[in-house]
Amino acid sequence: MPERPASARRRPAAPTAQTADSTASSAAAPDSAQYASLDDVSSAQYASLDDPRVMLDRDIGADLFEPIPPFPTTTERESEFYSLRDGEMFLNLGPHHPATHGVLRLVMKLSGEQIVDVDPVLGYLHRGVEKICENSDYYHVIDQVDPLEYLSSLFQEWAAVLPFEKLMDVQVPRRAEYIRVLTGELLRISSHTLFQGFLALDLGGLAPILYSFIERDEIVEMLASLTGARMLFNYYRIGGVNGDLNHEFMSRLGDWMSRALKQTEANATLLNGNEIFARRTRGVGVLDRDTALRYGVTGGNLRASGVPFDVRRAHPYSIYPELEFNIPTREEGDSLARYLIRLDEIRESIRIIDQCLHNMPDGPIMAKLPRLLRPRPGRAWAAVESPRGMLGTYAISDGSDQPFRFRIHDPSLLNLEVASTLLPGNLLADTMAIVSSLDPVMGGIDK
Amino acid sequence: MALDEPKGRRPASASGSKATPALVAAKPGDLAAPIVVPNTLWKASNPLAYDGGRPAEVTHLREYGETEAGRVDDARWGALQVVPTTADNIVDLIRTNSLWPLLSGLACCAFEMMSAATSKNDMDRWGMFPFRASPRQADVLIVAGTLTTKMAGPLIRLWEQMPEPKWCVALGDCTVSGGRYKRSYSAVQGIDRVMPVDVYIPGCPPRPEGLIYGMLQLGQLVKDRRGKWDEREIGPTVPDEI
Amino acid sequence: MDRSLKTRLDARLGALLREPVYQRNDETEIRVDPGNVPEVLTILHDAVDLRFEILADLAGVDTGEVMQVVYHLWSPKSSDWLRVIADGLSREDPRAPSATFLWTGAEWLEREAYDMFGIIFEGNRDLRRIFMPADYTSFPLRKDFLLPDDAARSPGAGVRHVERSQAPATVADDPSAGIRRAPVS
Repeated sequence: MPERPASARRRPAAPTAQTADSTASSAAAPDSAQYASLDDVSSAQYASLDDPRVMLDRDIGADLFEPIPPFPTTTERESEFYSLRDGEMFLNLGPHHPATHGVLRLVMKLSGEQIVDVDPVLGYLHRGVEKICENSDYYHVIDQVDPLEYLSSLFQEWAAVLPFEKLMDVQVPRRAEYIRVLTGELLRISSHTLFQGFLALDLGGLAPILYSFIERDEIVEMLASLTGARMLFNYYRIGGVNGDLNHEFMSRLGDWMSRALKQTEANATLLNGNEIFARRTRGVGVLDRDTALRYGVTGGNLRASGVPFDVRRAHPYSIYPELEFNIPTREEGDSLARYLIRLDEIRESIRIIDQCLHNMPDGPIMAKLPRLLRPRPGRAWAAVESPRGMLGTYAISDGSDQPFRFRIHDPSLLNLEVASTLLPGNLLADTMAIVSSLDPVMGGIDK
Repeated sequence: MALDEPKGRRPASASGSKATPALVAAKPGDLAAPIVVPNTLWKASNPLAYDGGRPAEVTHLREYGETEAGRVDDARWGALQVVPTTADNIVDLIRTNSLWPLLSGLACCAFEMMSAATSKNDMDRWGMFPFRASPRQADVLIVAGTLTTKMAGPLIRLWEQMPEPKWCVALGDCTVSGGRYKRSYSAVQGIDRVMPVDVYIPGCPPRPEGLIYGMLQLGQLVKDRRGKWDEREIGPTVPDEI
Repeated sequence: MDRSLKTRLDARLGALLREPVYQRNDETEIRVDPGNVPEVLTILHDAVDLRFEILADLAGVDTGEVMQVVYHLWSPKSSDWLRVIADGLSREDPRAPSATFLWTGAEWLEREAYDMFGIIFEGNRDLRRIFMPADYTSFPLRKDFLLPDDAARSPGAGVRHVERSQAPATVADDPSAGIRRAPVS
């Protein structure tokens, strides 16, 4: 437990009533012995009567609760945040809370129900993946990046594999590219369906999450029959993919595709017509175009604010130039727009999967590579469009079989940073509507 | 937390080692010497909790059922302490069939936990549907996902806030032993370093069916232990030589 | 490979570049001095024929000799990614100017670079640790921070020697194994 800094213990000077010669005030109750009247309290050094330090010092004892902030403030923004005006209070939406975006801690400064300021505290899931990747060979790197955005782990692998393919100047066979796009879009649908479910769950609706998990279980079983695992697939390799399409995968995929569109529309009707949902998300957390660009927000959040930036069209990779699909864009920028955009993206993804199935070429699924992978020394950057935004990776290779530096830029980090602009001014109950609609995944943020 | 050099570590330059003692087959009647790891890592905030830290008299489940210890239960009705009756069995059944988990989803394994709770693999069939958000209302802490050193404090606080009887399930490789983050500087290498664990479910992530199997094993454990769970130890209980 | 981008960059930034513009595949790379970073980024952001308005990434790099801050940018006017490497930060006291005047989102990225490397970004209003606890004293991604491959180097590490993997020898065991350095920066 850190020591409370001495500056926090700002007790007013002990009144002289404690000396023996004034018996009248010794009859006063002990907890008001420090203040002769309420005016004394307000004129003391405390900025606000709601400042938690007032209560702690007087009544309970300072070591039972962690003081806020737990350490002396070091930066300008921190001291601005942690100083309370009259009527404000801190509320800690702690690392453990039922809104299941993982371990995110939001320290909120409230004035009544209205949020004045918010300070997200990250790092509760920081596992040191970048450092582990520097000491692992390239196969292990692909395995290590899976649990970052665990809902869409194939995109992490894709982003990890692309810069190494650039460094090794490898040409990926066309069938492998098609398989990558097929599985990636399947996972995008699964991730967006889960997003719908969690948005509803965070706003209090308990039914849509069950439908989302039915969809997700079906897709994930499909991918398990192809890759062997339900969630952390470890399927892509430098130069291709690990295993070819098999009969079970194709039959499950065919079954699912025959009802995919209808199921999507049915899941959408759970929420689209719901008045409570619409009133809680329409106009809430409006992200305008300039703020979005200044914060580096990407993905559905950016497209819901009117900027048609999608890495698949802006800087195409793989076989996306040959595929026909639209980039849905909306102008409003509120939470409802972010929700509707992802519905549109599910439909576009179904279209892409359809085209992949029709045009799937034959051929090898893996390029011919030596067993021990040694890329040329150099630097490479690549980005893919994951369900949350632009996921970029920067790899520096020194010619050995371990990357020298492997940097992953996760879109959820900047998506969450913009929440500290969007939340102030809204009510406490809007927190989950805004944070959920930005779709952060803490594994990717904390790495 | 500074840890001493483990006894088994050999310097890199030393070649050869002392001959390991010959292994002897255990006879069925033997009970191997109990391996008790004293709790030096973790301290409950109430010094009287967990029996005040006294070491356990009984460490093997086999002899557990025959002793007096197996019948004492703080949470039972007074007159029924000595002789197990139908009432005790009923209490066990009640506890086993409505183990309410605490939503403690930290990372990827949380999604397999949620998948086990939703329609396709339904944990509600065994009574585990309500995932309580508040630790005060929960029985089982299913730790699903990597525990990092920053999160260890809040998680221990959650564990201490849960009222007895409570059990802990380690879901996934990261909580069992550190898993894929064995070399990480910030992941705790298995939650049994910081809290007592009853059931370990390995896998990365384990299938939802695996989690359900683990919860059923926990139910069996509840019935076997008959409510006595205090002497669970914290810390890896495997000796260094293994 | 966008050749016209090279000419545009040379025209706008000529004197500020440390080395000639390097292009390979679909990436263009320029190196600048850390002190010139605000000017360079402003030109890249505002110039009408460049318009690199989307900040894709801000990362720190420790090459073993020096530290670098690497920016990745995207523009609708070019088909290449642009990489700006602010090279030459010392390993003992790495300081770089902050990019938060242009992109507010860089605040958290710079916090991450500070947390992992110790690079101080001057002008960042909120330079504190983001991932590690606030009282952590090391900078994990530096090359002299070694992972605990054997026992008890860090609080969370494994304690049994059999868990040691085939990692390169650490400095304690073999003094000739020092910091890993990049042959190419």
